[in-house]
Amino acid sequence: MMDRQTDVALSVKTDMKFLPLVLSFAESSSRIFGLDDKDTLKLTLAAEEVFVYLCRMTGDPAPVTLTMTNGFYNAQLRFAFEGIDFDLRAFNLTADVPPDEEGLEEMGLLIASRSVDRMSIFHSAMEGTGFTLIKEKTYPEAQPWESAQPPAADGLSFGTPDVEDLKVLVRSIVGRYDPFIYPQDFRYPGKVVDMVESGEYKAITATDGKGRIAGGMIWRYSGSSMIECYGPYIFVKEGGEGIAERLVTGVIAAVARSEAVCLINRYATEDLPRGYFERLGTIDFIRDGEKRPWHFLFRQLREDPGCRVYAHAGMEEFLKDQYKRHFLAREIIPVRYEGERQNPHSVFGASFQHNQKLVVLKPLWDGADAGENLARHIDALRAEGIKNILLGIDLGHGWQARLYPVIEAGGFTASLIMPYRGKADLVFFTLRG
Amino acid sequence: MFDVPLNRLVPEYIKRFEPYIPSKPDPELMKMYKVGHLWRLNNNENPLGPPERSAKIIEQFPPIKTSIYPSGDSYYLRVKLAEKFGIDPDQIIFGNGANEAIAFVIKAFCQEGDNIVTADKTFAVYEWVAEFSGFEARLVPLKDFGFDAEGMLSRIDERTKILFVCNPNNPTGTYWDEPKLRRFLDTVAGRQIVVVDEAYCEFVEAPDYPDGMRLLKEYPNLVTFRTFSKMYGLAGLRIGYLAGSRDVVDVIRRTCVVYSVNTVAQDAALAAIGDDEHVSRTRSHVRAEKDYLLRELGGLGLETQAGEGCYVMIRLPFSDTLAYRQLMSKGVMVRTMTGFRFPNWIRVSIGVHEAMEAFVGGLTGIVRQREMAG
Repeated sequence: MMDRQTDVALSVKTDMKFLPLVLSFAESSSRIFGLDDKDTLKLTLAAEEVFVYLCRMTGDPAPVTLTMTNGFYNAQLRFAFEGIDFDLRAFNLTADVPPDEEGLEEMGLLIASRSVDRMSIFHSAMEGTGFTLIKEKTYPEAQPWESAQPPAADGLSFGTPDVEDLKVLVRSIVGRYDPFIYPQDFRYPGKVVDMVESGEYKAITATDGKGRIAGGMIWRYSGSSMIECYGPYIFVKEGGEGIAERLVTGVIAAVARSEAVCLINRYATEDLPRGYFERLGTIDFIRDGEKRPWHFLFRQLREDPGCRVYAHAGMEEFLKDQYKRHFLAREIIPVRYEGERQNPHSVFGASFQHNQKLVVLKPLWDGADAGENLARHIDALRAEGIKNILLGIDLGHGWQARLYPVIEAGGFTASLIMPYRGKADLVFFTLRG
Repeated sequence: MFDVPLNRLVPEYIKRFEPYIPSKPDPELMKMYKVGHLWRLNNNENPLGPPERSAKIIEQFPPIKTSIYPSGDSYYLRVKLAEKFGIDPDQIIFGNGANEAIAFVIKAFCQEGDNIVTADKTFAVYEWVAEFSGFEARLVPLKDFGFDAEGMLSRIDERTKILFVCNPNNPTGTYWDEPKLRRFLDTVAGRQIVVVDEAYCEFVEAPDYPDGMRLLKEYPNLVTFRTFSKMYGLAGLRIGYLAGSRDVVDVIRRTCVVYSVNTVAQDAALAAIGDDEHVSRTRSHVRAEKDYLLRELGGLGLETQAGEGCYVMIRLPFSDTLAYRQLMSKGVMVRTMTGFRFPNWIRVSIGVHEAMEAFVGGLTGIVRQREMAG
């Protein structure tokens, strides 16, 4: 694993007089952590938008800490607040939405999101509150590749590939498989190498006696409770079943004693052996104007201890059906809004993945304006050309479950559950139409 | 009311850990899975309970004794065991279950940069304790479901401090016979500590099974683990021990927690020592029920792995964690084997006959239903 350089941090107040310092910090640290001129400029621009926005939204200057982290294949800039003594509404993408629709494109946070590869808003006791901007390095695109002589299906050895074998694996995947069944990272072999070096991705390959790659799988940690795997990708003409099974059991063995509770696979190939994963559900994913079924498979890595979940009556039937289908023991506690006092303003977090035209929204703060706020988010995201808008709620939090009528009225339909993805199960909703 | 600033108070490495969530008590699980009865076949507990004399001690334990601290080092127990095994009481250390003993040994011998060697598919606690303590756990793949002696020896380097061998292995039930264990110890030649975990030794009927206690005299680097949780049915009281040469045990004692074994546990364990009738009754029960189980599973066409010990492994054509949930909904609790790196295998403990019937019935229903669904 590469030597992770120390994070660098800058603490200032949300006062415009600090803007040059913030820009200089963002620019210099981006360069130090390996971004080229173009990417450095983009991340610096995004930092400027966020900082200017925060200065405008916080009223009295509030302390904020900027931390730049070297992600090896990216630079991550985090704006974090410790104690919030201003309106949390500022953390909505749409907080500075002008009254006229035409002004949507002028929103500072949306502008910032366009300059980076991923942007997310966080708010929790453990993480604090703030924004994360991630700008990835630019890598050359993979040249699809297929071995002139097909690899053999016997005499295989299974293990962690070296850099060149990893690149061959990635190029072979790109050469052989539909782009829908591998993550976009795989288009860039150098990036995958850096992601493996950084510890974010792990890989296993099956190599024949002549050193040719007969198959492989890649996986990554997605938060601490979940691991996502891709494949198995098989390159032999016949006898691939046995290889696929050994790859899958190899991945499971590698993660079996990790902290993760679940292993998911959203990029399964036809070679995935039966019996190792359960189907959670399917989401219609829109890419290049085409609607494609996106299957979510999972297996638990531990025995399910059962748990309590909160649910609004409107989604109880969906949940009961899901829990029965997956044999998940859950005690459903009904919740609803019963006239109690509410904060005036809600906050929704948004995680952007621009290359997939995908945004996942999640409620961060309950508020009386949740309905209008969600509608504003949808308008803004649609205006931004985002085709895939998902929303996830954690059923371990009663107030999130209570939002169901707002979510339903916003045009969302419950699509699938992810067991233990949050404090309890996460329900993913997709936007209708 | 104020917010606790967890973001600032909690160290980064703790933020990365997921809390360990042990399984809920049976009544809660029964409510959750909507079953009226739960057969617990997941922890290799003795279905016959503790020996009669121990049961009596527990039943008649005078409440006043709970106000007095226990013997800090389980004195009388050590004396009695030492007599039984023909060793010195100071060669024995008791712990709050054998898990605590594992931690004592690792803490005593490992420092930054050191490693331990064990198998990849065995009792997880050796690996966990080492990794959580910041030491590398070198894992050697099993060979034909058994510990691979040559493989383990090949992973030793100058920073290897401890070799852990689970004999018989949990969950596969394989064991090293005496010549094999001796060869291994002879090759190590005292350069590392060799821990032989004999948690299930009292269940073993094979005549060539080695007695680790007897080998202590010849191998001063050998440490054996034993427990009262399995054969002696005292799992709920948490009591286990280790034994080794005086010099090695003297080092381990420097790291161990005293007063961690309570008085009821000590008294009940003391009464259990030497109850051969209990051992023989349990063995014959395990033998009969294991035969029954293997016969029934053979009828279902499922692959099994059963050796010594009070458990059987079964390979399923579907996810073990799904099987767990399905069996729980039928009132049967088994151990999934994903955590032991045997995905799609389950381990079932030998219980009372009614429990074994419930398991067989439940599993048959699940397998048949899947076959019908194609």
